[in-house]
Amino acid sequence: MAKFDAYFALAKEKGVEVLELYYSRAKSLSFKLYNAQIEGYKLSEDISLYARGIYKGKIGYASTEKMTKETPEFLVNEIIMNAGTVTKEELAIIFKGSEKYKKKKVYNPEIAELSIDVKKKNLFEIERKLKAADKRIAQVDACSYQERESEAMLLNSYGLQLKRKSNYYYYYAGVLAIQGEERKSEGDVHFSNDLTTFNVDTFVNKIISKALIKFGGTQCPSKDYKTVLDKEVVADLLSAYLDNASADEVQKKTSLMIGKLNQPVASKKVTIMEMPLKKNAFFTYFDDEGVATYNKTVVKKGVLQTYFHNLNTAHKDGVQTTGNGYRSGGKVGVGFQNIVLKPGRKSLEELFAKIGDGVYITEVMGVHASLNPTSGNFSLQANGFMIENGKRSTPLTLITVAGNLMDMFMNVKEVASDNELLSSGYDVPSLFIKKLTIAGK
Amino acid sequence: MISKKLASVLLLEATASGADFAEVYLEDTLSSNLSMENGKIEERVSTNGFGVGIRVLKGLQSAYGYTSDLSKKSLMKLAQDVGKAFSGPRVLTLAPLEKVKVKEIINLSTQPMETISVKQKIDLLKMVNDTMASFDKRIVRTNVYLNDMVKNVTIFNTLGRYVEDTRRRARLYMIAVAAENGKIENFGEGPGASDGFDFFTSKIKLKEMAIETAKSAISLLGAAECPSGKMPVVIGNGFGGVIFHEACGHPFEASAVSKKLSVFWDKLGKQVANPIVNAVDDGTIPFGWGSTNVDDEGFPAQKVQLIKDGVLNSFMIDQFNGRRMKAEQNGHSRRQNYKFEPTSRMTNTYIENGPHTVEQIIAATQYGLYAKKMGGGSVNPATGEFNFTVSEGYMIRNGKIAEAVKGAALVGKGDETLAKIDMVANDLARAQGMCGAASGSIPTDVGQPTIRVTEITVGGRRGGQ
Repeated sequence: MAKFDAYFALAKEKGVEVLELYYSRAKSLSFKLYNAQIEGYKLSEDISLYARGIYKGKIGYASTEKMTKETPEFLVNEIIMNAGTVTKEELAIIFKGSEKYKKKKVYNPEIAELSIDVKKKNLFEIERKLKAADKRIAQVDACSYQERESEAMLLNSYGLQLKRKSNYYYYYAGVLAIQGEERKSEGDVHFSNDLTTFNVDTFVNKIISKALIKFGGTQCPSKDYKTVLDKEVVADLLSAYLDNASADEVQKKTSLMIGKLNQPVASKKVTIMEMPLKKNAFFTYFDDEGVATYNKTVVKKGVLQTYFHNLNTAHKDGVQTTGNGYRSGGKVGVGFQNIVLKPGRKSLEELFAKIGDGVYITEVMGVHASLNPTSGNFSLQANGFMIENGKRSTPLTLITVAGNLMDMFMNVKEVASDNELLSSGYDVPSLFIKKLTIAGK
Repeated sequence: MISKKLASVLLLEATASGADFAEVYLEDTLSSNLSMENGKIEERVSTNGFGVGIRVLKGLQSAYGYTSDLSKKSLMKLAQDVGKAFSGPRVLTLAPLEKVKVKEIINLSTQPMETISVKQKIDLLKMVNDTMASFDKRIVRTNVYLNDMVKNVTIFNTLGRYVEDTRRRARLYMIAVAAENGKIENFGEGPGASDGFDFFTSKIKLKEMAIETAKSAISLLGAAECPSGKMPVVIGNGFGGVIFHEACGHPFEASAVSKKLSVFWDKLGKQVANPIVNAVDDGTIPFGWGSTNVDDEGFPAQKVQLIKDGVLNSFMIDQFNGRRMKAEQNGHSRRQNYKFEPTSRMTNTYIENGPHTVEQIIAATQYGLYAKKMGGGSVNPATGEFNFTVSEGYMIRNGKIAEAVKGAALVGKGDETLAKIDMVANDLARAQGMCGAASGSIPTDVGQPTIRVTEITVGGRRGGQ
């Protein structure tokens, strides 16, 4: 790309041995409805340029959203200064390129082509149907649509040049339901890059059914229960669990999976895959270091098959990178895309029947604060239901569910068959856990 | 970067189709993050955030757009595109832009961070690192981070307001990781201010804080799992104020109140707490982490009495939500950056000193949890349900502090918990946090003296007792 020639020329002139640029540009459109009126419109255009370079054997990072003629000077100077600050002994690597890339077209032009009137009409219909569904729906407190498309390009001094383009849309709605003194809130997101997956009635019914069954919530006695975690909860906890498979965490000795390669890290019922090449809104054929990604099994019947590596962690362990170098806050760390937990054979109802008496957790809150990544211990605000005589019964509200992440995955007794690709990017089923500690009364 | 003349043209353009208010918000932010692990500098990352947001309002509708492309052509298109969200004839005559003089509250340091060399910063981190690392051989890892930024903001609006403001903030974050017999625990502290280097070197006792952090990590190694169930909870000062932030602060924001989504929306002038409870949100504290010279709509920061003698006295209000409430803004409109439309947010929120002492509170509690230090949490303003985590806790037995416990989460409803505060001590302290909500992640202070709540659900990994 000619517009970046000045950056490479200046870097070379100032003694930066290798330069890598990651340029991204995204556009989005969103609007939200409140009381049958479009309450807010938003149009955005994001431009960012992330740069890193090797100077005297160390790596320096800088990024900017300001693209002027002074930008090359700013970035190169900051790279030099920041590289000079690093005292950690670590090989600085910028990637020359993979042999083969499995590029697929995931950008869906239909999303932007569909008329805005249709998108607005959907929102009006969602709000109207939510309100009409039940007299206890006091308010539709959120009703919005967003679409976004982004293009990114990675290029470096070795001549590597990779591009990707993707887009998605989502509908989000939430309701406040009131019955007597009880206030319940519920919502849902439909996130996809395929227009055919969205249906207003399905979306509305899901929210309404989730909201209304919450009434009459109580707290159960505080003790250990056989527990079913709904897939939404599994997704919330799986990300923290898999962070332990990051080679970066292992090397920093903060992982709970140190020394667990080819060892059990979960019960035999659990198989987890990372599928970055699965064609959906989360597809990516190269990671943020330019390494070709590939699908892999991370946990096979409970046994850890691999850690997630970027170039640096792989070099330290003397292995190949697994294409899991992802950017967070400017620098490149270790991440993952498109996680799939393999479904079992029993339906959710069959799990309840098998348990007899226990607790079904449908929602957890405050994972960022109340799950300690160092110890794996968690104690989370939760909502759910009692399971009595093999069936879902009384709603539970303002309880806490506590346990240890590693113990929990070791204690998976059964995996349900209800997999769904959630808006968080996790394709997971509900799980039956031998026991978790519930605090209520 | 945007002249007064260009701003006038953009405002005129944005209001062509019936908007009754328009605003141009320009931001240029330079930040640097320095991170040290086990005494070695891992990296320094420099970032330049830059862009313009244009907002138009028409009654209870808003339209917002932003871009980092500041060419005149791009800005004109943005102004037209957001303006076209509405349809109708022009209704607004623009007031001429007049520069408002900003009263400096936060920008007064004689040692602004951008004048401090990287070496001086590294030396500071090294001191903190070495203090924690050498405290006990069970400290196996230490992380110290220093983030500092200078944000230059320019705001123009159709009320004729033209404001230029500079915000400087710095925060140091330290984490000590302790390990023994296969157990790993960590503890962190993060002092920060809208201040310069002298905040860290002379205004706070950084070394003592590092010792306390290491000590807390070590004490967690020996802590038992917290029992669960409903019990009285004594919440320590400083970051303990996160309970008030989550349980009452968010539901006191106009964004929740104006739509009657907050459990407190109709409680103005009503008794919501014990008369010993007084609480404020004060954006005017000199050098305060959550303080602002002007808010993100360009209005001066204010001190607002939220609760007076247990009676709900005021909410935190921005212009847009104020329209629905038919109330004036009170300097509480904030946003993370130009990518967000501003809305009502907290600044420095705290419960004021009360009539008791910490010793009296502990002695008056037969059995309960002493949540000495709190971690983070969250709240659903619509139901008032909150959760937050106890990072350092002790059981109270027979009016005395007993064994250390860990892994406790507190859950409850904001309005009920507020009504159950029955003792308030006199050791007010504030602590720093980042608060995430609709308009992004912003710096806020939480704070309180030690308080007692007669009953909260405590969730721990040890079952009920």
